[in-house]
Amino acid sequence: MSDHRIFYRKEDTARYISHLDTMRTFQRALARAELGVRFTQGYHPHADVSILLPLPVGFSSRCEVLECTLLEGTDLERVSERLNAVLPRGLWVEGCAPREKAPKELTWVDYQITLEYDGGTPADWGEQVRALLAQESWVVEKKSKKARTGVTTLDLIPLIRSLTWKEEGDRVVLEGIFAAQNPGLNPQVLVDALAAARGELRSDYARFLRRSLLDSRGETFR
Amino acid sequence: MTRTLERILSRVQKPGRYTGGEYGEVRKDPAQVDFRFALCFPDTYEIGMSNLGLRILYGVLNGMEGVWCQRAFAPWGDMEAEMRAAGLPLFALESGESLRDFDVIGFSLGYEMAYTNVLNMLDLAGLPVRAADRGEDAPLIVAGGTCAYNPEPLAPFIDVFSLGEGEEALPELVELIRRGRQAGWSRKELLREIAGLKGFYVPSLYEVSYHGDGTVAAIEPREGAPFPVTKRIVADLDHSYFPVDTMVPSTEIVQDRATAELFRGCIRGCRFCQAGYVYRPVRAKSEAVAARQALESCRRSGYEEMTLSSLSTSDYRPLVDLCDHLLEYCGPRKINLGLPSLRADNFSMGLMQRLQSGRKSGLTFAPEAGTQRLRDAINKNVTEEDLLNSCRTAFEGGWNAVKLYFMLGLPTETDEDVLGIADLARKVLYTFKKYGTNKARGVRITVSTSCFVPKCHTPFQWEGQVDMDEYRRRVELLRGAMRERAITYNWHDPETSLLEAVFARGDRRLADVIEHAWRAGARFDSWTEYFSMERWLDAFREVGLDPAFYAGRQRSREEILPWSVTDVGVRQDYLWREREQAYRACITPDCRKQCTGCGANSFLKGGKCDE
Repeated sequence: MSDHRIFYRKEDTARYISHLDTMRTFQRALARAELGVRFTQGYHPHADVSILLPLPVGFSSRCEVLECTLLEGTDLERVSERLNAVLPRGLWVEGCAPREKAPKELTWVDYQITLEYDGGTPADWGEQVRALLAQESWVVEKKSKKARTGVTTLDLIPLIRSLTWKEEGDRVVLEGIFAAQNPGLNPQVLVDALAAARGELRSDYARFLRRSLLDSRGETFR
Repeated sequence: MTRTLERILSRVQKPGRYTGGEYGEVRKDPAQVDFRFALCFPDTYEIGMSNLGLRILYGVLNGMEGVWCQRAFAPWGDMEAEMRAAGLPLFALESGESLRDFDVIGFSLGYEMAYTNVLNMLDLAGLPVRAADRGEDAPLIVAGGTCAYNPEPLAPFIDVFSLGEGEEALPELVELIRRGRQAGWSRKELLREIAGLKGFYVPSLYEVSYHGDGTVAAIEPREGAPFPVTKRIVADLDHSYFPVDTMVPSTEIVQDRATAELFRGCIRGCRFCQAGYVYRPVRAKSEAVAARQALESCRRSGYEEMTLSSLSTSDYRPLVDLCDHLLEYCGPRKINLGLPSLRADNFSMGLMQRLQSGRKSGLTFAPEAGTQRLRDAINKNVTEEDLLNSCRTAFEGGWNAVKLYFMLGLPTETDEDVLGIADLARKVLYTFKKYGTNKARGVRITVSTSCFVPKCHTPFQWEGQVDMDEYRRRVELLRGAMRERAITYNWHDPETSLLEAVFARGDRRLADVIEHAWRAGARFDSWTEYFSMERWLDAFREVGLDPAFYAGRQRSREEILPWSVTDVGVRQDYLWREREQAYRACITPDCRKQCTGCGANSFLKGGKCDE
């Protein structure tokens, strides 16, 4: 178990760094910043870091969490400054603190989704989506590496805590709070489900921004 | 990032290849920039970013006031299709600016099978692929790297070839272009001036004529262009630029580690090895400088692995001191120190054992040939005893996997030599059975063969390559002779070797073949998922050239070789003498035992190499 959490944003070109590569990038940045961290044991010791909730490639985020154990005596106040001097474009550390809540308390994730419709937003967009959300259950198939068939089913309704939207010309900006884990709802799955249910809801492009992590009471997860 | 690019990136594999933004990337204020240099590598980002030369030139050029050097790589097929569909021209990673707005587009040419990517990248940039079709305002297309020593197959596409090491030459080129811009020179005038700079070959200023049999009749320089054009080197490596503050890609690349360069050139003189001749003379960095650069590279990159790079690492005189020095830093920080291209001798094995920490994986040796006679003929000064002793040390130390690399089709090779490879592999196996400390785990011996490609500026530049059927016959012969379960045999397909042999020693007429193949869809020819031999053979047929004329034909001493316009400092009569020595299976001592007078020492003041 790691002792510290580093809170960072992942935006701009850094959106395209995969989960594993992001960990590697931080391992090297920690070394560049000469911030000592605990290493793993074994044949290939390396800086022991992990990222709390993998962010899909292409998503922006303002609330990423990297866990590691900084060596005793590290001035936590200065960690952001030292890392920000050596991180690639788009990764930006906002703070570092001792670990508070257990990872299992991470319950909800607040997302902003922007759907772009090049031919203009469908006229009855809101009504159609409201109707879909009003269903008792909304089961979709989801690719799975674990299931023998390669597919599992997922009911979206219980995974959506709230969803609101604003239509702005040829785009719709949605704000939603979705389940974080066990199972979590990847908002891409929701966007695909909209398109699968009603063809005219298929957007030309979807942009995703993770805005905050919440615990079961809806308070910020730290 | 534009909306178009953002949308495209959501649909392609490995989008991080196309965004830039890595730590160490150079960004400049466009208002302060008067010269844009696009440094291009005609393969994927992951391969191009692993090239040390590219990083050196990037640093040197960006160190110049007002110059912004940016990078571009070949987009993978999915990205290319998206770019073409969206009308998005090839852009540089740093600024996103289209390559066609640059002053210079420079290609690094490391291997022949990347040639179609050069054409494809020019086309993606919206430029005509042929120099003659490009306008006054088009960027100047420059190419350098090992393949530039036979520039001819690409001659009609490239404006200027840069021969040899570029870190001093390219800044001179930039300054000359700036001067030409102020003076209002035409493109033609500029090219003529560039031909006057040392180390630059402007192919449009040379006329090549041919005999009826297809061999070169004459290469005639026009408008005062020099003949031959001599390569450039950096004489003093201790005081030349080295990128200790280089880029650290955020996505995994092929050589994902810090690199320290120890020396250039090689003392060994293996007769098949182009690098061993074209990078002469041998110039080493002092231990102090090599150590400082290595440590700085580690510290400033944060890499967890460092490699010491050179053609033959164990020939670096202060290697032990250097390693001790580096281990002091790397040990406590758990940084892995890797030594590639070690020789199979006791000294190297001792060093390996000291460096190796943790799990013992495989060891790789390259005896190149199966019998002592043939190893002597190619001047690969490794004996069976050396090899087996090294294997013994390795097996006693707990290693249990050995990879052995060989070439088939070396000049003078007989079936006895081919079968000698099987014998040698078996002796390695017996060595394990006798000395292995970990017999329960068993041993894996992997034998790999590739088809020998004769290269220009080597003693074998006059040789014919064995044809593909003969190579396949020798593969079958060897395969039949190695039935042991512990021995795995991998062989490379001969198709790309044949094409390499064609382009490595081909003439200008081959440009039509390259263009034809590219228009028919050839790109990424070093990738099996893209390569099609059919497409290449069609291109040869359409153009009316025979690959065997270039690859398989034995050339005479009198023939004018297409690459005779380039001079690497090693004299042709020296190479011919080495060829004769090969046919007598006589070895030539390495440069440290005795100078054998290749001629490359003329690059250095006082004429002393390897000091």
